[in-house]
Amino acid sequence: MGGVDAAGAWHADGEVLGAYSDGRLDAAGRWSVEAHLTSCAACRLQARALVDPARLRRLRAALIEAVDVPRAGVVERLLVRLGVADHTVRVLAATPALRGSWLLAVATTLAFAVLAAWVSRGADATMWLLCVAPLLPLAGIAVAYGPGIDPTYEIGLAAPLGSFRLLLLRAATVLGTSTLLAAAASLMLPRLGWGAAGWLLPSLGLTACSLALATTIEPLRAFGITAGAWVVAVAVTVAPPPPSSVLFSAAGQVAFATLALLAAVVMMVRRGRFEADRGFDTTPRFAARRLR
Amino acid sequence: MRPDRAPSDAELLAAVAEGDSDAFGALYDQHAPWLLVRLRRRTADSDAADQVAQETFLVVWRDAGRFRGQGAVGAWIWGIAIRRLVDLQRGRVAQERLAGLLGRRRVSDVASAEEQALVRLEHREVIRALNRLSPELQAVLQATVLDGLSTREAAVLLGIPPGTVKTRAMRARAQLRQDLA
Repeated sequence: MGGVDAAGAWHADGEVLGAYSDGRLDAAGRWSVEAHLTSCAACRLQARALVDPARLRRLRAALIEAVDVPRAGVVERLLVRLGVADHTVRVLAATPALRGSWLLAVATTLAFAVLAAWVSRGADATMWLLCVAPLLPLAGIAVAYGPGIDPTYEIGLAAPLGSFRLLLLRAATVLGTSTLLAAAASLMLPRLGWGAAGWLLPSLGLTACSLALATTIEPLRAFGITAGAWVVAVAVTVAPPPPSSVLFSAAGQVAFATLALLAAVVMMVRRGRFEADRGFDTTPRFAARRLR
Repeated sequence: MRPDRAPSDAELLAAVAEGDSDAFGALYDQHAPWLLVRLRRRTADSDAADQVAQETFLVVWRDAGRFRGQGAVGAWIWGIAIRRLVDLQRGRVAQERLAGLLGRRRVSDVASAEEQALVRLEHREVIRALNRLSPELQAVLQATVLDGLSTREAAVLLGIPPGTVKTRAMRARAQLRQDLA
């Protein structure tokens, strides 16, 4: 059985393989072939002649399809481990603002704010961070939802998960991550104190405000308007010297907390509007652009 | 991967571990045919063989990074496949088992000394001795030695109690020793 090649190595020829496949070999022959096949590429190729090509193709197609599904990333696995439902995790993990590039951008922005604080070292040291930090979740949520940006936008429209619920889920995720990063940045400020956390309530208030606005106008525009209003408000209220703003005073903080609550109420009352505005009539345009 | 020669199994597997689906396809083309042929010798049910082959390659896709480079890739793949077959025989829901299996168990690279010896099984005496064993004893030796299964796994595959696997394996070895003496 088998044959010996020029180099003196034993190989199973086609005839032996055929006999093996049909069960016509004795135990010793069977075992020789099996042990040989695991390590000899040349003989393995011969085995191809013994299998129905259609069967090989069918299995191959099914496997490639199964494998083409993206693997769960670190964030996804972590969320699943924390007990978040599978489908929610998939939706959250597809959030553009959870991608490495976005997180890197947020971290860089915060790093510059901290750096500025260290360089100036004056009373205005924390101002940069205080002004920039509330804008980060706004930008994050704005890119986390909407046609043209969200990779799952069309899927979301067709999904049983309401689009407003999706927006809220995404918003909570983005707010959570940017808040964590901003908190880490605050800890690195030269002069640590409660003042360094002054961005937290404005951040919450602005996010809630823009979400409430998004029930009336395009989400993207809503975030743009809120962000613009914040920049103007900071520019107008900053009073030197030393630079400070009424926005970060106790009164300002209370105002932002109230704003956040009010916006939350508006959001809940008007959420039906949001769903209704996103009917199917707008989708083909975006879908077509995407498929191009 | 150099373009001027076909990549080795280990290279393909390394690429698969990086998530390269083309390398996965190439690995499938190399190994699926012999795997299906060999599975045919373990089960008469071709649907079961298809399922085992499919699950095996999915495990390969997920666990490619766990291959430590000891022994042949083919032996590693067979180690996965034969255990998938055992699991299928156990009648458990394949997908659930797969999930659990992927999480915990590492399939050992089976390239035992016996197997190495079997590759060049040219000794007339050995061949005759092996062929003189009863089919029952041959089946047990095949499962434990060639497929590298544990007693318990072999019992499931062959549909006999673990105790019987042990006694048959002992009897087979004793008979081989006697014949070769």
